[in-house]
Amino acid sequence: MSRNGKSPGGGPRNRSLRHGNGGVLPGRNRRAAAVFLLPPLLVYLATVAFPIGESLFLSFFQWDGITRMKFIGLDNYRQLLTIDSTFRSAAVHSLVYLAVNLVIQLGGALLVANALTYLRRGQDTLRVLYLLPAVLSTVAIALLFQRVYSAEPEGVINQVLGAVGLGDLSRPWLSDVHTALVAVSVPEGWRFMGLYTVILLAGLLTVPREVEEAARLDGASETRIFFQIRLPHLRPVWLTTLVMATTYGLRGFDVPYLLTNGGPGVSTELLTTYMYKTAFTSTDYGYSSAISVFIVAECVVAVGIIVALLRRRGEALL
Amino acid sequence: MNARRGLWSLAGTMACLLVAVTGCGTSAGSPAAVRGSVSGPIEPHTITWLNARPSDGPVIKAVADVAAEYGKTHPGFKLDIISTPDRPSYLQKVVTLAAARKLPEFFDVDATPFAEKLRRQNRLVDVGNLLDEFGAKHRFRPLALDYQKFDNGGVYGLPLEFAMEHFWYNKSAFAEAGIEPPRTLDEFIADCKPLRAKGYIPIALDGKDGWPLERYLAYYPFRLQGNAFVKKLKRGDAKMTDPAGKAGADFIARLGAAGCFAKGFSSAGYTDATDLFTTGRAAVINDGTWDLGLLATDTLPASLRNDVGYFKLPTAQGAATGTDDYVVSSGIGMAVNSQKFDPLVKDFLKYLVSRYPAKYAAMGQLSPTIDTPTAIPGNATPVYGQVIREAERLGTRTAKPWDTELDPTTNNVVQQNLVLLAQGNMSPEAFMKSVDQAVTTNSPRYFSK
Amino acid sequence: MSTMIDVRGPAAGPTAPAPRRRTARRHPFSASRLSKALVTLVLLLQVYPFFWLVTTSLRPAKDFAAGNPLAVTTHPILDNFARAFDNGDIPRFLLNSALITGVSDLLIVVLGMMGAYALQVIGFRFSRLVLGLFLLGIVVPVQVALVPLFINYTDVGLLDSYPSVILPLVGFALPMSIFLFMSFYTYVPKETYEAAALDGCGPYRLFWWITTPMSLGTVATVVFVNTIFIWNDFIFANTFILSTGKKTVPLGLQSYLGSMGSTDWTATFAAVSVTVTPLVLAFLVFNKAVVRGLSGTTRV
Repeated sequence: MSRNGKSPGGGPRNRSLRHGNGGVLPGRNRRAAAVFLLPPLLVYLATVAFPIGESLFLSFFQWDGITRMKFIGLDNYRQLLTIDSTFRSAAVHSLVYLAVNLVIQLGGALLVANALTYLRRGQDTLRVLYLLPAVLSTVAIALLFQRVYSAEPEGVINQVLGAVGLGDLSRPWLSDVHTALVAVSVPEGWRFMGLYTVILLAGLLTVPREVEEAARLDGASETRIFFQIRLPHLRPVWLTTLVMATTYGLRGFDVPYLLTNGGPGVSTELLTTYMYKTAFTSTDYGYSSAISVFIVAECVVAVGIIVALLRRRGEALL
Repeated sequence: MNARRGLWSLAGTMACLLVAVTGCGTSAGSPAAVRGSVSGPIEPHTITWLNARPSDGPVIKAVADVAAEYGKTHPGFKLDIISTPDRPSYLQKVVTLAAARKLPEFFDVDATPFAEKLRRQNRLVDVGNLLDEFGAKHRFRPLALDYQKFDNGGVYGLPLEFAMEHFWYNKSAFAEAGIEPPRTLDEFIADCKPLRAKGYIPIALDGKDGWPLERYLAYYPFRLQGNAFVKKLKRGDAKMTDPAGKAGADFIARLGAAGCFAKGFSSAGYTDATDLFTTGRAAVINDGTWDLGLLATDTLPASLRNDVGYFKLPTAQGAATGTDDYVVSSGIGMAVNSQKFDPLVKDFLKYLVSRYPAKYAAMGQLSPTIDTPTAIPGNATPVYGQVIREAERLGTRTAKPWDTELDPTTNNVVQQNLVLLAQGNMSPEAFMKSVDQAVTTNSPRYFSK
Repeated sequence: MSTMIDVRGPAAGPTAPAPRRRTARRHPFSASRLSKALVTLVLLLQVYPFFWLVTTSLRPAKDFAAGNPLAVTTHPILDNFARAFDNGDIPRFLLNSALITGVSDLLIVVLGMMGAYALQVIGFRFSRLVLGLFLLGIVVPVQVALVPLFINYTDVGLLDSYPSVILPLVGFALPMSIFLFMSFYTYVPKETYEAAALDGCGPYRLFWWITTPMSLGTVATVVFVNTIFIWNDFIFANTFILSTGKKTVPLGLQSYLGSMGSTDWTATFAAVSVTVTPLVLAFLVFNKAVVRGLSGTTRV
């Protein structure tokens, strides 16, 4: 049900169409709102919001899970923000991990999706095949990449480098402190690239053919068409995928944990793996809770940015 | 339905928080249970053993067998065996269960600072005392009990294994390189170069798990001062920068600089390391007798079958420990929860101690007891029996692994920075400083002076 | 169902013809040729791992240990599968995983649709506040909640039960689910609701007869993404499940660990190949729906 013509100003995105209470249904439906909202809200409160609240509470204590809890005020935060260099590195690493994932999952996926539009046949099959890695188990992915990056015995990357005469570049990618972080970030990006390719391709296919053809007739290059026609058109779709990719990027844990367990040194330690170790290796629940609180605060900032983006997009979410 | 569950959870959390805040929740076991004294009739019920062992390994098989026998004479008894062989996942389980005060009757722990906290809360039964009471203590190898000893001298984990750690080497690789098994730790480093020259990876190492490289750090200090060094270090009474500690740190840096480890060892797992050795690509591996099935049976490729030898921990100038003193362990111990200790648990333990060793040894394993000879499997190479006989020749002390001695946070710092030290990304000085700093920050929470 | 996100006509927006340029026109096939090369390369990267997984599970263990780990065996065998089934109760693991994944997916979809409907369609006074609360959890890593949840579950006696794994999986997936459904509901024209309301349709019937059937594409997306995460979830299952009988596939893969962490990799891979099969089959059967769903996430 295309609404072309019905809402030329951007359809329901237009705020004026909404009721004061945020909904689009005419009239007041308090009871219905409660019926629909309460089940998800309660599950969410019990399993996510409340534990986060408890973390906040725990973060003012020193607690090892065995002996009595000891109230220590802001000491955990003081240590976290002033002394703990591992924490600072982990925070930076998490951002790098996110950035690598975004580059692959959004940048790479966009490139591939754009390439797919030039194919006359096989798009459907390719879409399915591209999604396959997402289905693979994490354990298998970790083992595969461990072999791919290996130096002794020589893994695929180093073999290829040697074969094309770039043997000088070969190194143990997961052990070199300069390359390990990017190396552990790539598998997750690769794994879900297909997912975003499919979503972005769908967006690209809605670009009106006539506009592109007109531009081509006017002598515009394919690069220009991409940047000046397709990209602007794709913006709303791109923002949704940005939210998804950011979410999963900030939650990253399994692959780095399995591949290097934070090493060598702390060069692949992410906030999530660091917090996990603080809680379950050091059994320092108060301190790990302080890290949690920091992560949540960081997420509030991320959500703020997302919301700001959505507003610019003009979507009536908030 | 979900809404209700959410509400319950909410209410429960509130209650829990209150309990936690007031501290009413810190329950401690009764001193009587810790000594192992209980009274009353034996009432069979299901008991649980949370363990960190391979789910179809010989230990589990033997214990399950004993439990089945016991169940025949005690209808209603059942031993629920929950295996989590991956150690980090296992430890996560144990610490969360401990925090929720839900530890089962039996669970596996090493004599770590974490276990020491449980002991101080009277939550662990004094297994040493129990063995005395059962009249079984003399049956155990002294070193098997020694390995389980806490700093107060008590034994709180029942040893179910016994293993010696040796350096396994490829004889023809050594011959090719024109070297002999090293007598000193310094010779060990010197051997790497000729092995590299012949195309071998000198030492196969699982760098991902942390503890194998930490063993290498412990060797020099152990040779120079026995376990005294790490016992003092962990409390901050000795410094890593002391001569013994410095020798240990330098040893790692020198091993790394001499190219002893595979390039990129830090991301190699346990199986990667043993594979390197059992396929003839690496010349040496530091491995325990738990891997005899890999190292000394016909599962080895034919070309290697008669080429695998072993040597003991090399010595050092000014050594305080003898050549027959090295790492000997009785594996992670089975701890007994004092809060769930009852006549049945006690009776089953007694039965287990009497029946387990024979069953375990019959599977080709080295039992923690003296009176149960190991059945050498039919597919064993000669070196199998040879290494088993080393158990009769052992010294009076075992090199304590550092990962069970140091507090967990310091241990993590040590393991992470050791990789950097071995890779040349960190100087021995910086390494020692980081360790001393970690001890200063973290040890007070674990060790009372 | 048709375009949801972009309904700008050809003349609207920045899609006006590009300005004329005097540059020579590119060879008409160059973009196409480059594209083909890229697409083929990516195809290799995406498909090879699958191929590798299956061939490794057919490889003799010694061959895998000794040879190039990425090579293909010349003597495929089925021993690994025998060991995989002997050492691990694969059917049981599959059953548990299927149960947990199925129920979680169902809850994530239904609760997500309900939440989005309440927030976006019905609306109420503090809806923005509630939405903010939900969005707060959208990026929070699951590890944050482990210890508090564990203690809470102990207190309410939920430990070591299926709900103890399902509930947090659902809770942490809800924000994204709500976000996606809301994004979709934004594009259902207001007139649709007004017309239905005039016909006497209340909010419940509207939800069931209008909103739900229209959002099937988003359902496919939500199910696809969450199935992958839940099927692979290790951390909640390892934390909250104790009994051997309730182990899921990722926990079950530990059955192939030996002493000190040594791993029977070829048996593990056989087990992975087996346990990934239902997922792949489901995906192949529903691939049209999934692809259309993913495509429709943003435009349906």
